[in-house]
Amino acid sequence: MSSGLRLVAALTLFGALYAAFAPGLQSASAEDTKGLSAAATEGKQIFDNSCISCHGRNAEGVPDRGPSLIGVGSAAVEFQVATGRMPMARQEAQAERKEPQYTREEAAQIGQYIQELGGGPQLPAGDHLRADSDEDIAKGGELFRVNCSSCHAFGAGGGALSSGKFAPTLEHATDRDIYAAMLTGPQNMPVFGDNQLTPEEKMQVIAYIQNLKSDQDPGGWGLGRLGPVPEGLAIFLIGMVGIVIATLWIAGKS
Amino acid sequence: MSGHQIEGQEPFDVDDPALTRFDLVREGARRDGVEIVHYKPRFPVPGTKVERRIERSIALMLTLAGVFAVAFVILYIWWPWEYEGGSNAGKWYTPLLGLTLGGSLVFLALAIITWGKKLLPEEISVQERHDGPSAHDEQQLTGATIVNMGDELGIARRPLLKAAVLLPGLGLGAAAVAPLVGGLIKSPHEPDAIFFETGWNPKHNDGHPVRLVREDGTPIRPEDVSTGGQMTVFPGIPGGASNKWADSPTLLIHLRPEDSALAYKNANNSERPPGINGGSQWGDFVAYSKICTHAGCPASLYEQQTNRLLCPCHQSQFDITDNARPVFGPASRSLPQLPLDVDAEGYFVATGDYKVAVGPAFWERP
Repeated sequence: MSSGLRLVAALTLFGALYAAFAPGLQSASAEDTKGLSAAATEGKQIFDNSCISCHGRNAEGVPDRGPSLIGVGSAAVEFQVATGRMPMARQEAQAERKEPQYTREEAAQIGQYIQELGGGPQLPAGDHLRADSDEDIAKGGELFRVNCSSCHAFGAGGGALSSGKFAPTLEHATDRDIYAAMLTGPQNMPVFGDNQLTPEEKMQVIAYIQNLKSDQDPGGWGLGRLGPVPEGLAIFLIGMVGIVIATLWIAGKS
Repeated sequence: MSGHQIEGQEPFDVDDPALTRFDLVREGARRDGVEIVHYKPRFPVPGTKVERRIERSIALMLTLAGVFAVAFVILYIWWPWEYEGGSNAGKWYTPLLGLTLGGSLVFLALAIITWGKKLLPEEISVQERHDGPSAHDEQQLTGATIVNMGDELGIARRPLLKAAVLLPGLGLGAAAVAPLVGGLIKSPHEPDAIFFETGWNPKHNDGHPVRLVREDGTPIRPEDVSTGGQMTVFPGIPGGASNKWADSPTLLIHLRPEDSALAYKNANNSERPPGINGGSQWGDFVAYSKICTHAGCPASLYEQQTNRLLCPCHQSQFDITDNARPVFGPASRSLPQLPLDVDAEGYFVATGDYKVAVGPAFWERP
């Protein structure tokens, strides 16, 4: 017990000393920022602190840890970092959305670095990446049902995939998140490039999703819009238990 | 004018003026084998404070039940119900109907239960349980009755009827067996190729290879599907995306180069017995039937990193880089692969129909 504590204390002390007396790490990498824009240089700083252990120096990837980021583009980086999926807490079936470690600006800086390093798809500017007319929403609904609903479900609540993976709910997704996901195909999502879904069509899909999310459930409580399974479970657990208790009360002696 | 004599008891005369109504109730229950052993009104002195309090609360519940029921009717007729996006009164139509009708029924039920539990007299009744086989006498009497029914029909001494009765017996028996046996007879639709053909067969396009088209009928160039992307395609013939060709939807997948090489190697491996998918791949593109071979659901959940295709109905999984072989779940056969090519104008075509029948099993499947 105490030996374990001592070991931890020793390791912590050693780590702190090393960090204090080894300034060479930062300055060494400063040399290969030549030709990078200011934002990309900032991004490289963050990358070298946070991403390099899995994605390697110059983002060429590390076998069995993280893929190469050459050619993934700033859209992919912005999606992964701004939604908190990256950095991953641990290697597992799927990186999940969590509280982001970096702001949108920092994510954009890392994205800029990866963009200048290897190119790839980029997001359009602005936060409002959706078409607004009712016709666009209706067309987006058609595209959503053909292309997205098989995994993300009709209510955009998400669904199960193989071996612990899943298509996430779109509840928290912003316009930029959805646009980037279609453009880059994060993790196991297929890519919907601009030849397959044009930028206008992407904005229609986003318009439909955001409209769907802002719409109030007409039948009352939607239970996460996951469909008949949670609804059946709820009526079984709440309804049946309620009936059993009521029956006991009726039959009980007064 | 009846007297029901129970052993060891006085004869009971229902017309005896000395009997109270409760005496009659007790006798009625007794003749049904139920003995009322304890019976006491809850409120021997009527109109006490407690009794009136209970009466008031039951009256309140009944009133609420009525109010809710009336509210239901009013809401049903006048509340706005048309769909309109966002949050508005119309979205509360269904919940309000449920709350009012449910509330009415709940309060009515509570009133009835409270009435029963708080106001009705206390009562304990005992009913003898009927145990074991019936008495010997009962068995003899019932047996004789049944045998007598047979005698009355006179089947034994009326040979004509005996023979005639066999005819509907045989006929109905055959009718009952027909659907069971009929289902086991192979190839009832022998000349009909409907199960073996899809809209990709060139004969539906005047003998020319059928183009792969989107839902709206536009043809597809290889560059339209991104690496790691997929697209649902339909045969480019009239009504190709309609229910008429519901067996034809296909998933066109653009593999990564390394996955593509693996898929090519697995499809052209001569050591494997089937080997029917050789040459079906075009570049990094493969196309598989979207109809699951288990129960015919659309297997269209494509995982672009693991190259698995999932069916949402029963979780079957197919390995896209290995001839869409089933690797998990109830499906036992691979998804049929569509042989691809690109025509002179640069659009995807199917060089022929699927090599095996699409979809789930059926009797005629070889």
